[in-house]
Amino acid sequence: MLGYICKYAPVEIFESMGETVKRIEPQVTNFTQADMRMHPNICSFAKGALEEVMQPGSDYDGIILTTCCDSIRRLYDVLKAEFPDKFIYMLDTPRITKEAGIALYERRIREMIRAYEKHTGKTFDEEAFAELLRERDEKEQLAVSSGRLNIGILGARANEEIRRILESQGAGVAFDLTCTGLGRKLLYEPEAVMTGYVRGLLSQFPCMRMEQASGRDELIRRYADSVDGIIYHTVQFCDNYAYEYAWLKNWMKKPMLLLETDYTKQSEGQILTRIQAFLESLDPKQDKLIKQEKTKRQTKGTEKMYVMGIDSGSTSTNAVIMNEKKEIVAFSVVRTGAKAGESAAKALEEVLSKAGIKKEDLALIVSTGYGRVSISFADENVTEISCHGKGAHYFNPNIRTILDIGGQDSKAIHLNEEGEVKDFVMNDKCAAGTGRFLEMIARTLEIDIAELGAIALTSTEKIEITSMCSVFAESEVISLIANNKEKADIADGVCHAIAGKAYSLLRRVGLEPDFMMTGGVAKNPGVVRAVEEKIGAKLYICPEPEIVGATGAAIYALEKARG
Amino acid sequence: MWIVDKYIDYVKEQTQKNPEQSFDKILLGFKANKLRTKVLPKGGLARGYQKLEAMMMSLVADSLGKPDSYVWGNIFAPCELMQCFGLSTLSVECLACYLSGYHLEDYFIDYAQSTGIAPTLCSYHKTFVGAIDSGVVPVPRYAVTTSLSCDGNLNTFRYLEKKKGVPFTFLDVPYEDDDASVAYLADQLRDFTGELERRFGKKFDVEKLRRSLEIENETRKLLIEFFHLQSERYYPGELISHLYLMMGMHLMIGTPEFLELVRFLVEDIKKCPPFEGKKILWVHLLPFYQESLQHYFNENDKYQIIASDIILDSVEMLDEREPFTALAKKIIRNMYNGSYAHKAEIVSALAESLHPDAVIQFCHWGCKQSAGGSLILKEEMQKKDIPMLILDGDGIDKRNSHDGQIKTRLEAFLEMLDTLEKDEERSQQGREEKVC
Repeated sequence: MLGYICKYAPVEIFESMGETVKRIEPQVTNFTQADMRMHPNICSFAKGALEEVMQPGSDYDGIILTTCCDSIRRLYDVLKAEFPDKFIYMLDTPRITKEAGIALYERRIREMIRAYEKHTGKTFDEEAFAELLRERDEKEQLAVSSGRLNIGILGARANEEIRRILESQGAGVAFDLTCTGLGRKLLYEPEAVMTGYVRGLLSQFPCMRMEQASGRDELIRRYADSVDGIIYHTVQFCDNYAYEYAWLKNWMKKPMLLLETDYTKQSEGQILTRIQAFLESLDPKQDKLIKQEKTKRQTKGTEKMYVMGIDSGSTSTNAVIMNEKKEIVAFSVVRTGAKAGESAAKALEEVLSKAGIKKEDLALIVSTGYGRVSISFADENVTEISCHGKGAHYFNPNIRTILDIGGQDSKAIHLNEEGEVKDFVMNDKCAAGTGRFLEMIARTLEIDIAELGAIALTSTEKIEITSMCSVFAESEVISLIANNKEKADIADGVCHAIAGKAYSLLRRVGLEPDFMMTGGVAKNPGVVRAVEEKIGAKLYICPEPEIVGATGAAIYALEKARG
Repeated sequence: MWIVDKYIDYVKEQTQKNPEQSFDKILLGFKANKLRTKVLPKGGLARGYQKLEAMMMSLVADSLGKPDSYVWGNIFAPCELMQCFGLSTLSVECLACYLSGYHLEDYFIDYAQSTGIAPTLCSYHKTFVGAIDSGVVPVPRYAVTTSLSCDGNLNTFRYLEKKKGVPFTFLDVPYEDDDASVAYLADQLRDFTGELERRFGKKFDVEKLRRSLEIENETRKLLIEFFHLQSERYYPGELISHLYLMMGMHLMIGTPEFLELVRFLVEDIKKCPPFEGKKILWVHLLPFYQESLQHYFNENDKYQIIASDIILDSVEMLDEREPFTALAKKIIRNMYNGSYAHKAEIVSALAESLHPDAVIQFCHWGCKQSAGGSLILKEEMQKKDIPMLILDGDGIDKRNSHDGQIKTRLEAFLEMLDTLEKDEERSQQGREEKVC
């Protein structure tokens, strides 16, 4: 069996020679081999492909690579060195698709055939190849259906996971213009079979490495018109498609979600949250809420009603009970322990006791937050992004931009006047810019996390923490301590570093006032001041910034219970 | 240099406040620095490196001062063709470096990232895109880029064509080195020349190109001689001196001025005392701002960078009778093209000829083509018993490079080299005693 990765690879040649050809779709849990043989900063797909090929039991007899990008060129070097006896072939693929490119590619493909014949002893038969081309049909590229959200996928190669999540959420993939989603374009020219075939390969929807990729705009515009929203997919450490995303953002009218994945199974939770939040923003009337097949506990015949929202975050689990008048009856904030489910049970118990009601009195419970799916007593779950939107609108309807800095992630959310999410960006990949980072620094400075902000306000000397990575930043702080810098000044520098990160998130959603800050870090006056300086505007902070998400979840529950 | 620092801070502040009105101030600083490098060169620096700094400062200040006099390029774009039209070439990498002189790289990088450009992209490209997209740096009439040596080239220029309307020629450099590839690229170079004729209204003179290639051959020969001399004599330079030399070899190669400069380097170094410290062959970019590296490699008679692959990335002698074919061969055979084994071969040949004590490869943030093969090169160097250190960092963005981590690695490596030397001396002594 031969493996390949690129849509420009001439797989039909090998198939006509009776070879099984399989596109490599890595499903890996780590990059151990890649980190040893390549470098951590190589594109995650290339690293994943290396893991896949090197894992025990892998049955590839050879790999056909194209010169598609820098990371793949290096993948070839490593595979070639690791498997000298296998057919590891680098096919030089032109980026120019005019006649000169076609002629050169045909020549390269013929050289590859000769190399393969020599390696295997098999013979290429042009007539059998022509026969195979005649029989193949092209696949339909567009599949819009009514009665569901239609989503288009653009950008870098996307694995099956995205499609699977979309379908599990009741949405459908109307088109997938990534290189792994397209059907192959096969041209059959009886007079010049190989030339026609090569012309067909090079005239596929161009990827970003091709010279004529500027022509993608028109095709994307046409396709985008037919869908409700677009997921723009990028792969970590593959930078080519981010350019297009940055460009499309200028003129694309359709809602678009930037989704970065790293081809590991671990990132599935993060992908799910983003996709779910995106679908919720496309369909704010929330008729696509995920049901967990539970019976709705309605109060019979009485007008009185209680609902609950529960936000399971990494640092705290927050619960809010709301009545039928949309008033908050009680709330609780408990520290999230090792198990999200146990903390949720504790928060439930506490909030019920504060409200003086029993669990049975709750008509509906909606969970949100990172641990939302682990709360067994919740009837439904909604992402924290939509819930923050609802919650923020509840506390202050003038809010258009929310900055939420939680324990393990930070996000910026753009709302419309109805409090519906129009756009959002999240950072949940690195600790810098999150509450965890502040905790880490507070520990290093030997001060209580609750005091860090207040201490920062007394700063007299401006210190800049330049490192972008939390580990680097901690080392930088240690150096500052060693240089006898004042704690207050260091704390202030750290608050400004967080604000800098936050500002770049906020800019990406548009910086429309009024602004609100939510999450535990909103209680830190040092960070609040630094963010306000950055954006040149005041931040609205409600008395309990940690319960905004849970409040939003409670509103969802109330709307749902009312039917 | 209190005034200089104040001016840098002032320009940085003004740029962030009024991005579209700060270019005059940036340019003024470049012009003042050009004057400074001529009348008040850095003391302690070898004279040749002083002259080199002045020449590169002039290239940037003069070009930016006359928007019609230059095109954007990347470092592998054939500047020889631009020279035939009286145009200079300013590359992404060099512009990014010069703008970082105002400590503006963080502002530009953040700007680019906030528009959606990937944080994992090469920082040179992010700085460049941010500088242009924010409206700080004005745009020229035309640009050219090769696909060599990284994916960023085509994408950066295409992005700026769409956003800022700067048209460009894309030169697709094939991976394979054979006649078909050479013909494919030579044709593109001919077409590009036609494009320059049309765009700038000047007739192309092939004789000028031939002369330029002759000068280039002579310059390269002298540069190799200089590297040999630099492995024997102490020639005080700075990390940035090697970047200047890389700039010259890519943006001014083929000009009589640069030939004279390299000739001067060769003559000047001959007058210098022997170098008895550790000789380092540097691979890839140099983070010129990194304090620990500056401490060990700026004007230090114990450790000297004797050569770098980014300066001599092409060793091709050019046949001026077939100038387009010659240029195509030069680009295709560049050590950054093709497999990493090809690169490892050329670096090995350089090592065999210059006998360095060690090799240091700097893996610049976002540079997949270089970082991805670093372990292959290390294995190759191990076969030759040449110790090699791989340093991770960022050539321009200080926030991505932690000095403490680099310092620890570097110092441990240098200590290791000293131990190796002592072991070598001891075993040498042992052998001599046995003979006696």
